Amino acid sequence: MNYDKMLEYHKQNNADATIAVIEVPMKEASRFGIMNTDETGHIVEFEEKPEHPKSNLASMGIYIFNWKLLRKMLLADMKNADSSHDFGKDIIPTMLNDGKSLYAYKFKGYWKDVGTIDSLWEANMDLLDKNNKLDLNDPNWKIYTEDATALPQYIGADAVVERAFITQGCVVDGTVKNSVLFTGAKVAAGAKVIDSVLMPGAEVAEGAVVTRALLPMALRLERTLLSETQPARISSSLQNE
Amino acid sequence: MSKAFGIINFAGNNIQVNDMQAYRPIGAFSFLGRYRVIDFPISNMSNSGIDVMQVYVRRKPPRSLVEHIGTGRHYNINSKRGKLITLFQESNIDNGIYNTDIAAYMENLDCFDEINSEYVVIAPSYMVYTADYSAFLKTHIESGADITLMYHSVDNAKDHFPNCQTLNINKQKGVLSMEPNLGNAKNRNIFMDTYVMKKDLFLDLVQKAHKLSSMYTLADIVNESCEELDVRAYPHRGYFATISDFNSYYEANLELIDLKKATDLFHDNWPIYTRTNDSCPTQYFEGSKVTSSVISNGCLIEGTVENCVIGRGCTIKEGAVIKNCVIGADVVIGKGVHAENLVIDKHARLIRGKRIIASPDKPGYIKRGDKL
Repeated sequence: MNYDKMLEYHKQNNADATIAVIEVPMKEASRFGIMNTDETGHIVEFEEKPEHPKSNLASMGIYIFNWKLLRKMLLADMKNADSSHDFGKDIIPTMLNDGKSLYAYKFKGYWKDVGTIDSLWEANMDLLDKNNKLDLNDPNWKIYTEDATALPQYIGADAVVERAFITQGCVVDGTVKNSVLFTGAKVAAGAKVIDSVLMPGAEVAEGAVVTRALLPMALRLERTLLSETQPARISSSLQNE
Repeated sequence: MSKAFGIINFAGNNIQVNDMQAYRPIGAFSFLGRYRVIDFPISNMSNSGIDVMQVYVRRKPPRSLVEHIGTGRHYNINSKRGKLITLFQESNIDNGIYNTDIAAYMENLDCFDEINSEYVVIAPSYMVYTADYSAFLKTHIESGADITLMYHSVDNAKDHFPNCQTLNINKQKGVLSMEPNLGNAKNRNIFMDTYVMKKDLFLDLVQKAHKLSSMYTLADIVNESCEELDVRAYPHRGYFATISDFNSYYEANLELIDLKKATDLFHDNWPIYTRTNDSCPTQYFEGSKVTSSVISNGCLIEGTVENCVIGRGCTIKEGAVIKNCVIGADVVIGKGVHAENLVIDKHARLIRGKRIIASPDKPGYIKRGDKL
């Protein structure tokens, strides 16, 4: 997301605060903090997880404030014993009640809340979609990260790799289909990884089959794990099983 | 903190890697997709606790090398105490005969004044190996030798290690002499162009060499000093490759596709640092068929890849077939292109020429940035 564009919008409207919002399907709207705006984008009401949502503009939790104002509000909030000290629950509603000028900036692009295992798995799987809107390969918008000191990925003589996202340090001797492999993930000969996400250092030993799963960091899986519908959850305590 | 400072030396007149050296020194050659050859000596020094390093280049420092090394921060060198400096010989740059390592050292003598280390470890920028220089230094100091040379015992010297020096060693590990590998014997002790000695002795030798002959290299003067000085040999174990001609570059890359061999070079406790790029992971699309290969990040693969080393950010399109190739960064292999037994330099685009197949014993070279 280009925050400069949001900042421009904020300045154009002379807003006190601008909140980035994204359109969500109406039937999901009850899961989010919903902004009700007028035609100009000015926020008139804010409802946290409304049973009967009046709009489908969900807060992305991205805010631009005028610093002096925010500082004042934070200091006041600090002194308020009844406050839960949360932007969405306290600061924003207070600003609205005080008649401050808040605007909703509509973001059009890929957005995913990865707060659950399901959504984290889904977000990774989304990368495999040819029409995926999130382009990690965009040379004009690099996503910086810590670069592990690792070897480039090794794909073995009998490996079968189809539709996958694989990074450095990985060693693939088995089958990887429709999956995402993080740094240092290993898939032994004869092992199969299908529709899954392997976190850094996860290892799938020979003969094991992993389907629709998200393997946590450094887990070594030696048996078969299958899941029909929802992605399977494995806790880190399941070591060497 | 080491008692030694480090010098990374450039390849002498005896070494020539055709085509690729036209663009950059051997140290700047891409290696195993992700690295540059010079990452190995620098990482070895850094991991050995050597914080102060001088990197010598033969010609005006090429952009690629300078950019890659930068300030040396990414090699885990202490930011305040450590220092990595690139030096070269300014006056005789274009005259091959006079452009020796001794000449470069002579011209930069004042740089040595600032260095307080008692010892110096000198390593080549054109050989790939991992070694703990602190163990090397320790053995040297304990032995009381004047100079210790690192070597690797091989049994394939007849058709490998061209343009390298060999050491004649006696039973007490003393070095009797140094001579070029003429390829007339299988078993040889290949000199790894790696030395350790006292800094003062090094400076003495440099000045002596300069007085004796304008053509003398450090190897020459050390060879000459084998009689009057106590020169010992130190054996190296583990993976060792010299990038001393085109074939050796090609072979060294491809042989490391064998993960077992790679673990002889890369160890968990001895990281090889390189300049990182924040590249995206590599994407394998429907229809891609990749086997026995080492692939860097940032690639988009739709075609068939077998027994290749691929650099960062390459695109292998649908229907393309590449076998036994060493490919640099940002190369595009277009739809239906069939390429075999090649070294393909950075930024090349193989699009219209549909069949580019070289012979397995004489691998071909595609120029940097070329459009086929």
